[in-house]
Amino acid sequence: MIEALDARRARVLRVVALGRRLADAGDPLGSEARAALEASSGLSREGVALALGEHLEVDPAPGQLDALLVRATSARCHVVLAANVCTAALRAIALAVATAPRVAVRASRRDPVLAEILTRELAADAAFAAAGGAIARVVEIAAAPGDELHLYGSDEAMAALSARAPAGVVVRAHGTGLGLAVVGLAVAVEAAAEALARDVVPFDQRGCLSPRVALVEGGAARAEAFAAALHGALAALGERVPRGPMDAAARAELARYRATLEAVGVHREGPHHAVGLDPAPRALVLPPAARAVHVVAAEAGDAAALLRASAAHLTSVGSDDDGALALAVRALAPHARRARLGAMQRPPLDGPVDLRGVGLRGAGPALRDP
Amino acid sequence: MFSAAESDALHARVRAFITASLSPRGEPAEPFDALALDLARAQAAHIPEMARLARARGVDLSLAHEASAIPAVPCDVFRLARLAVHPPACDVALFRTSGTSQGVRGEHALRTVETYELAALTWGARHLWPDGAALRALVLTPSIAQVPDSSLGFMLDRFARALERPPAFLMPLDARGEAAIDLDGLAAAAAEARAAGAPVIVLATSFALVHLLDGPGGLDLRLPAGSRVMQTGGFKGRSREIAPDALRALVARAFAVPETHVVSEYGMTELSSQLYEGTLAAALGHGPALPHGVYLPPPWVRVTAVDPGSLLPVPRGEIGLARVVDLANVDSAVAIQTADCVRVVAGGIELLGRQPGATPRGCSIAADEMLGRA
Repeated sequence: MIEALDARRARVLRVVALGRRLADAGDPLGSEARAALEASSGLSREGVALALGEHLEVDPAPGQLDALLVRATSARCHVVLAANVCTAALRAIALAVATAPRVAVRASRRDPVLAEILTRELAADAAFAAAGGAIARVVEIAAAPGDELHLYGSDEAMAALSARAPAGVVVRAHGTGLGLAVVGLAVAVEAAAEALARDVVPFDQRGCLSPRVALVEGGAARAEAFAAALHGALAALGERVPRGPMDAAARAELARYRATLEAVGVHREGPHHAVGLDPAPRALVLPPAARAVHVVAAEAGDAAALLRASAAHLTSVGSDDDGALALAVRALAPHARRARLGAMQRPPLDGPVDLRGVGLRGAGPALRDP
Repeated sequence: MFSAAESDALHARVRAFITASLSPRGEPAEPFDALALDLARAQAAHIPEMARLARARGVDLSLAHEASAIPAVPCDVFRLARLAVHPPACDVALFRTSGTSQGVRGEHALRTVETYELAALTWGARHLWPDGAALRALVLTPSIAQVPDSSLGFMLDRFARALERPPAFLMPLDARGEAAIDLDGLAAAAAEARAAGAPVIVLATSFALVHLLDGPGGLDLRLPAGSRVMQTGGFKGRSREIAPDALRALVARAFAVPETHVVSEYGMTELSSQLYEGTLAAALGHGPALPHGVYLPPPWVRVTAVDPGSLLPVPRGEIGLARVVDLANVDSAVAIQTADCVRVVAGGIELLGRQPGATPRGCSIAADEMLGRA
């Protein structure tokens, strides 16, 4: 099916317009979303305000939308939001309406707020309908051959959903991942720490772009200085935007991480964050996604060994320079988004957040997202 | 500066403790806590990670009086640092953990295997051949010659050597490094045992037994009276998973042995001692009656359940993570913090599986998922 580009663009812009309302705390929609997310998201009130106020895609440049619209189209698109950050429904629905005029959305059971609001508002939106759009919330996905199925969640959940889809359904799956920061030699440690803290705090580090590991070039002393600065920056931000409550499993994982880092390096912790430093890493440890950052000293030659288990899972690499370490990491994770430190959680609205192009078997061809 | 004499003296004290604790009088040569603390002090003096951990916890080992004061080293640290009082040149064995998806495997370096052997053999004998039966070992793991860095391979090798009759290693590695059970060899060994009426002990991993059960049917693996099976380890994604009760029943049926004679072992690369179910010893009149699922630590091992969030001990009977003080870990870390859930009960511990990692409420990857152990 070939649909006019203008209609597709118009539908995406209606989604973006709703995003602006959601971002506005004074708008009834923004107010509704804040109240509901404070109850459901697990983020603090300030964390919800930060997510909606600063991390919704409300002002895409024309070039970004052009990139978003360069994609295959179909008559129907089904969206399954199994696990994602609380604002992710906006981008997922924008992608879906760019793909097809008719869209069905199955929201996350745990965090359905934005999917529900966006679906409801778009379904009642005359301009969206005038652009050919029709959208509905569904409990079960009923994809037919030729439809697109956009999946967001763990690899395990996506594999199960993909396997249930009939042959001929085009599945585009976006899995879990993590962000990684590189602090190169050309970068001032204090500034990099403050910028990285701004990437860690949003969504309490639950997003696949959220940095959980920082590689610091220039030796153990520099890594130590960065870890100390990051501890300070996260403490300051945590006072303004407290972390949401941690569940027992996260507390347990943090306890194990703390004990491990107390042995191999230095562990610093505040009321709303943790920073571990391994000055001479043999391998990486992944801390829990609870505003915990694992800092290691690394040189370009160490990158391949250190990232052996994690390179395939990197969805974002943040760095402020093009030094040897940054280049080495990017080469190991060529499909990860690149961003400056401090902007890792503000990806342009040019496609899915996860650009790794996870292909799944079982439901037609394994596809890469453009 | 590392002192071989100091280490040797500690090994001698631990071996004396082991021997005395299993003597008819059952009285160890010295208090458990004093020996554990001496080991911890020596380790903290030579292993920076141990010293750092004690400092971070505010523990002054020179003033401590109980083994519970020793900071337990998380198993993950064996992957991130060398935990040994001695330099690599003094290693006589280097055991590695099996996980390979993490990129780097944990390492446990030993400068002598004497203490390890004594601990493994004395407690193994008590639970696997307490009757002193003349057994032949049928081993369903690769031999130690093929996997020299496997602590399990080492232990089973020592078991097989300790038994009177020549062992058979029936799961060799092929040219690609893949292990496969020699089914014909196993069936022949079983037939030979039946014909001779000579009991055997099958020593196997759980996943090897599942592969065996899932393999081609029709093999007659019945073993003569007095035979027994020791199984160990989880499945680690190497086979389908079967609940312990179901696996035990299937194994017992396949080998025609009573379920009491299928004994599970709990051990890990980071430890030098093992725990066993006591069902076989009880059935043979050599121990108290305990159900399957209760694992007995030797007198030189103390297991405490700790709260996963605080790592502080939980009340007896409550579920927590296993904190293991193993006196046989002379040159590495005497206190280990595992991620295994246990409940301390009368006579031993119940093993309740691995503590799952946190599942992020978003699209950030869970550590378990990235490391392939979800």
